[in-house]
Amino acid sequence: MAQINAEQREIAIKVVYYGPALSGKTTNLQQLFHRIDPKVRGRLMTLDTKDDRTLFFDLMPVFFRTGSGAKVKLKLFSVPGQVMHESTRRIVLQGADAVAFVADSRRSEAEVTRSYWDNMLANLEANGLDPRAIPMVVQLNKRDLPDVRAMDELADLRAGRTPFAVPAVAVRGEGVVETFHALLSLTYRNLDAALGLGRLWRVPEDEFLAQVFSHVDLRGTELERVGATP
Amino acid sequence: MAPSVLQQEFGLADLVDAKSLADVCRSFSELYRVGLKVFDAHGNKLVDVKVGNGDFCGYIWEKPQGRAQCIATVGRVKGEPVAGEAPVTFQCFSGCRYVVTTLSYQGDPLGRVVFGPFVPDDLVELPRTLTGIAPDFDPRRAGESMRLIRRAPQRTAEQVVRHFGETLEVLAFQGHKSLLTARLHIEAVQESYRELQEKNRVLEASLAKLRELDRMKSNFIGTMSHELRTPLTSVIGYSEMMLEGLGGPLTQEQKEYVSIIMEKGENLLQLITSILDITKIEAGRMRLVLSEIEVAQFVADAAATVLPQARKKKIALSCEVGRDLPRMVVDREKLRQALLNLLSNALKFTPPGGEIVVSAQAAPDDRIAIGVRDTGIGIPEEHLGRIFDVFYQVDGSNTREYGGAGLGLAIVKSFVEAHGGEVQVRSRPDHGAAFTLLLPREVPAATLRAGAPTPLPMAYAVSRS
Repeated sequence: MAQINAEQREIAIKVVYYGPALSGKTTNLQQLFHRIDPKVRGRLMTLDTKDDRTLFFDLMPVFFRTGSGAKVKLKLFSVPGQVMHESTRRIVLQGADAVAFVADSRRSEAEVTRSYWDNMLANLEANGLDPRAIPMVVQLNKRDLPDVRAMDELADLRAGRTPFAVPAVAVRGEGVVETFHALLSLTYRNLDAALGLGRLWRVPEDEFLAQVFSHVDLRGTELERVGATP
Repeated sequence: MAPSVLQQEFGLADLVDAKSLADVCRSFSELYRVGLKVFDAHGNKLVDVKVGNGDFCGYIWEKPQGRAQCIATVGRVKGEPVAGEAPVTFQCFSGCRYVVTTLSYQGDPLGRVVFGPFVPDDLVELPRTLTGIAPDFDPRRAGESMRLIRRAPQRTAEQVVRHFGETLEVLAFQGHKSLLTARLHIEAVQESYRELQEKNRVLEASLAKLRELDRMKSNFIGTMSHELRTPLTSVIGYSEMMLEGLGGPLTQEQKEYVSIIMEKGENLLQLITSILDITKIEAGRMRLVLSEIEVAQFVADAAATVLPQARKKKIALSCEVGRDLPRMVVDREKLRQALLNLLSNALKFTPPGGEIVVSAQAAPDDRIAIGVRDTGIGIPEEHLGRIFDVFYQVDGSNTREYGGAGLGLAIVKSFVEAHGGEVQVRSRPDHGAAFTLLLPREVPAATLRAGAPTPLPMAYAVSRS
């Protein structure tokens, strides 16, 4: 659950991008980094090896102060995907408030995707997090490649419910902001129910999302088309 | 799991190496000839570089009112809230100025940088707030020492402090990255270690369970073998009585049948005895009954026992016994069993027309080498390491040509090792095999004291169960 400093009216929310190796987790954070106004975000901290594979994690903070004076810090993490970094994945998942599962949509990757999904559920539980309750979005990435699964083919990716799925081609920036938006929306509702973000903190959902997405370059995204956010 | 470093917040002192920070500050101060102070978010001073204002401030400090006002100014510069990111100017009563900027990192205040004092380039004369601090204030002296302080335009000072703040932010980022890397690395190793220990615990528990099952299995086999032996003794005994004609005369055909019953019964009894031996060895209940033997006679007796079978299979059996062999102290029955097991293997795996040689000779270290070599099918090299395992068969297939329970060599090895000896084997497929029992003349006291030999390795009994 989010880290709260009631005295200073600060709330820190942890969002983790999980998924198999090379599914596009770091790409998601890099795309967000380029689209979010530097005024509300910090640097993208990436720890990669020579071959650009994530070694430990990626971290990017996003922060804003609401009209009612509450300070919100979003910490976006990605886990290392390679099998050998199992313990690091578990550590990064600690205290997560929301999870984006980035999957390679290709049918040929279904087995690997499934095993990482199960691995994520196990690691959530190992951290005392309920996989059925935590806000979760599945990003079906790499939609531009041949032989991808249909958007409603999610039978193997369930945790007591069928998760919300967003199509994406993260390398082109497609679906990245949409995934982030869907995830933050679910996160808000979850935290509102648990902490009373609207009632006690006087941060309504539309303001919460607007504080972030008014600083995001929405050009070419679904959000721009529907005019979801000011 | 303990809270990870990723869940923690850090202060400026945690993120930036104190000495490096001081070096950077000194270098900046030297470049601009203006003092520089860095405070963390709690107002603790981390760095203080003074340039040029020593004489001037020292003179003011001499005057009580000057000292009081100086302390008040420093207090404001250090602690007065500064809103926003833009540099804020603090005016000193002496006419000098400070420019202050807030250091922020990832949206959190990390501390502040104080640049100054410097003399604004538009200051023409000493202000009255300074000259009035004492009746004996000497404007000429103050003016002269003020000339040692850098005169700078306000805009430049703001630019410098902003630039310095940005540099510090980069340092903090780098420090944060290194800190997370190092600490997370340790956490990952610890977590992997914890995981391994957990797995080890599970493995140990299942190993203990398997051992218990194995022990129960051995007990069962021991009991069953014993129970099987009793009726079998009757089968053999009554067959023997019938053959001797105690139950009346038998036809030739009946005699033949009864002989077969008796022979097969004896084979079965031998197998059961072997199984009992193995269970005794495994349970650590084997005890040696020592007596003195004459080696040449011992070897000749064993050869005589299998001579009829060798003749029947048309295999030449001979003895090679060295001269003047000393007498040995051994468990006669067990050693005989070991030698017979080797001979029976040799007979089994040597085709008709082959040759078997039983030998005995002195070996180094006051030992005796008793050997059995044949010209049989031999043992492929990859199997040599495992032929002494219980139940191991070189040909384990269902269609194998040669029978046996895979106990003979395991028993040989246990018996010989119980004597403090060792078994050696050499073989070339299709050219035969040579087994040598190297035995001390007397069983070493330490071997006897040690009691039970180490448990026998199981070939596949465990994995099968």
